[in-house]
Amino acid sequence: MSGVLIHVPQDPPLTLRLGAGEVARFGRGSDTVGVELRLDDPAVSRLAGEIRVNEDHWLLSNLSATQSYLVENPEGAGEYLRVPPRRLGAPIPFEFARVVLPTRDTPVSFQVFAPDHVYLDPQGAVGGRLGTQTLTAYSLDETATYFLVLVALCEPRLRDESALAVPTTPEIVERLRQLPQCARLTARGVSAHIDYLAEEKLRIVLPESRDVGRGARRNGKREALVGIALRFGVVGESHLGLLPSRSAASGNSVQAQAVGR
Amino acid sequence: MNAGAGAERVPAGFRVGGWAVGEPIADGGWGWVYEGQSVRGSDDDHPAAVALKFLPTSGLAPKQARGLLECAHREREFGRRARHPRLIRVLDSLVLNEPDHPELDGAIVLVMERAEHSLRQLLAGEAGLADGQAERILTEICEGLAHLHELGWVHGDLKPDNVLLMADGSVRLSDFGLASELDGTHGTHAWMPPLGTPDFLPPERWKAPLGERGVQARPSADIWALGIMVHQMFTGGISPFPGATPAARGAAAQEYAGGRAPLRLDAAVPPFWRELATDCLAPTHEARAACTAGVLLARIGAETHGSGTGAARTDGDRRRRRVVLGAAAATALCAATVAGWVYVADDSGAKQDGSVHVTNVSDTAGPAAITVYNVEPTCRAHAADRDQQCSLGLAIDPLAPYTVANVVATRVWHGDVLTAQCRLPQGLPVTDEFGTRSTEWYRVRLPGGAADATAWFPAVRTKDRPALPACR
Repeated sequence: MSGVLIHVPQDPPLTLRLGAGEVARFGRGSDTVGVELRLDDPAVSRLAGEIRVNEDHWLLSNLSATQSYLVENPEGAGEYLRVPPRRLGAPIPFEFARVVLPTRDTPVSFQVFAPDHVYLDPQGAVGGRLGTQTLTAYSLDETATYFLVLVALCEPRLRDESALAVPTTPEIVERLRQLPQCARLTARGVSAHIDYLAEEKLRIVLPESRDVGRGARRNGKREALVGIALRFGVVGESHLGLLPSRSAASGNSVQAQAVGR
Repeated sequence: MNAGAGAERVPAGFRVGGWAVGEPIADGGWGWVYEGQSVRGSDDDHPAAVALKFLPTSGLAPKQARGLLECAHREREFGRRARHPRLIRVLDSLVLNEPDHPELDGAIVLVMERAEHSLRQLLAGEAGLADGQAERILTEICEGLAHLHELGWVHGDLKPDNVLLMADGSVRLSDFGLASELDGTHGTHAWMPPLGTPDFLPPERWKAPLGERGVQARPSADIWALGIMVHQMFTGGISPFPGATPAARGAAAQEYAGGRAPLRLDAAVPPFWRELATDCLAPTHEARAACTAGVLLARIGAETHGSGTGAARTDGDRRRRRVVLGAAAATALCAATVAGWVYVADDSGAKQDGSVHVTNVSDTAGPAAITVYNVEPTCRAHAADRDQQCSLGLAIDPLAPYTVANVVATRVWHGDVLTAQCRLPQGLPVTDEFGTRSTEWYRVRLPGGAADATAWFPAVRTKDRPALPACR
C-alpha cells in the first residue's frame, strides 16, 4: 500500500506521490485556487479536477462544467473510460492510466500509476478463504508489459544458459518486439519498466556500493531484480511461454548471442 | 499445484510413519493438514491422534519448490528447537519416498499435536466466547509470543488461523513456516520471504524494501498482529481497520499510520484491552518497540491478578503468573521503558546504569568457584531434574545481544558450580525474572568442555561475589 504515483510530463517533469486517503487537485491554478498539479494550458480550468487515493485504486473527480476527461489504459487494447463533466469520485481500475484533458490543439495529459493492485498468488485460492490466507506481499500483473520485461531479464538464468549475464536493454527490446503488444516498445520504455519494477513493485534495496559509475549502478539494479524475482519464485520456468518462441526470432541475433556465450 | 478443488490429495488410510491418514483438517496455500491415527498404540511421544502437515515439493516448478522447501525446513527446524506449552509441538518430521504418488513424492510431513480447532473457527462460530475466554486466550497467545521472542524468533504470520485451541481449551501457536531467527550480529530483526497475510501486516511492511534475503521482520510486527487479534477477540473477528477487502483495510491502516485517520476501536473492547491494543497498534516500529510481548504479559498479569479473573488453571500456570507479577513490578508500562528495540529475553536491560554488584572489586585473586542461582523457586526445588525449561544459558560474547546465536550449546542449572576466571563490569545489561539488573559478567570455564573453552555467565545468575581480576 504505497499509494499512487502521478507523473506530469512537462518541463521540468513533475512527480507526486499520494498515500492512502490523500488528495491532489489539478488544473491551471491561480493565486486563489491552489493546485498540486499545475497544468499550464489556457483551455484547462483553474480547478479542473481531483485525484483521491482510495484503497488500492484511485478516484477521479471531474470539476469541469463542460468537458469530459478521458482515462486511457496505455497497456490495454485501446481500453479507456470517459469521465463526464461534474462526475465526482469515478473509480479508475487501471494500474497504468493516462488522464487526457481536451484542449484546442495538443491535449494535456498526465500519467497515474497504482502499483498496489493485489493479485491472488498463482497457486493460491485452493480451498483458502480470501482475506485470511498468506499471500506474496508483492503481486505482479502477469499480463502487463513490465512482467514480460522481467521474464525476458530472467530468461538466460531460467534456461540455464548463464548464471551471470543479464540481457541488456536493446536485447530485451529485440526479444519482445515480436509480440504484438510490444511492437512499439522502445529502449526508454524498457528502462522505465525496469525502474517501475525495482522501485514500485518489488521495492528492491540495492547492494551498498554506490561510488561506481552510473552504468554499473544500472546493472546492479537489473541483477538484483533478476536475483530476487527468481529467488522468491516471482518468475518461474512456466512464464517462459509468455515470450515469443526463439526459433521465430528475426535475424536470430538473440539466439546467436546466446550460443556465443 | 493448482489441482481441482476437493481433489483428494492424500488417500485415506495412507501410512506415514506410525500413523494412518484420516480426515482432512485444513488446506492452505502451501500445505495440507490431515488427521493422523496411530496404528500402534499410543504414549506421550506417540499420541493416538495427531495432525499431519504435508508440505509438497513436487508437482511444482523447481523455483517454487525451493521456496516451499525453505518454509518447510524453517518449520521443521523451528519445531525441533523451540518447545513450550504454548507452541504446537512437532513430534516428528519425515520426507516421503513415494514414486507411485508423484504428488506426494518428496513431500515433507510434519507430525504435530492434534488441536481441536483454530481461533478463527472459534471466532466464526455461532456460539460466541464464554466469559473470560477471550482474556484467557489472549494471555496464552502472549505467553507463546513472549517465549518465541525470548528465543530470538519472529513468528511472521500471527493470525487467528495460526492460533490453535486444544481439547482442554489451551492455546498453541502454530504455523512456523515464516518464523525466522533474529539476525545474530544485531539481534534486532530477522529476514523472511516476502509473504504475509494483508490484514495482519504492520503499516511499515507495505513499504518494506526487498533484498536478497527477503524482507526485514522484527518482533514488533508480531505485536501489531497481536493488537489486531485483541480487537478481533471482543468483536467476533472484526479488524479495527474499516473496509470490505483486505486491500481496503490495509489502506485504512496506512491512513492511520500516516496520521490522517484516528484509530477507532470498537466500544465492545473492554478498557484494559483497548489500551493494550492501542499500544500494540502504535503506528511505527519505533513506537511499538518498547511494547514487547514480555511487557504486555506483565501488564496482563497485573490486570488479571488485580481483578481476580482467570478460571481453573494448572499449577504451571499459577507459577508463571507469580513470576509475571515479579516482572511487572520491574518493567511497569511500555511507555516507561526506553524507545528502540531492546531484546526481550530474560537477559534484557535498558539503561547502562550502575551495576547492582559494586562490592568486592579486586584485581588480585585468581579463579573462583561460583554457584548458579535460579530465582525461580520451582526451578530451585527441582534442580536435580535438569528440566530444559529451568536451564540457564552462557553467552559467547557478553557485549553482543543475547540471542540464540550468541549462546553456547552447554546449559547450566541451579546449584551447578562454575569456575570463574575474571569479571567484566560493563557487559550487556541482564535482568532476571524478578527485575534485578546487572551489567556484570563472569568469564567461566565451560563445564564439560576443553580445558581452555570458556563462556560468559551473567553475574545476576549467582549470589556469589568472588574477588576476581578484570577480564582483558
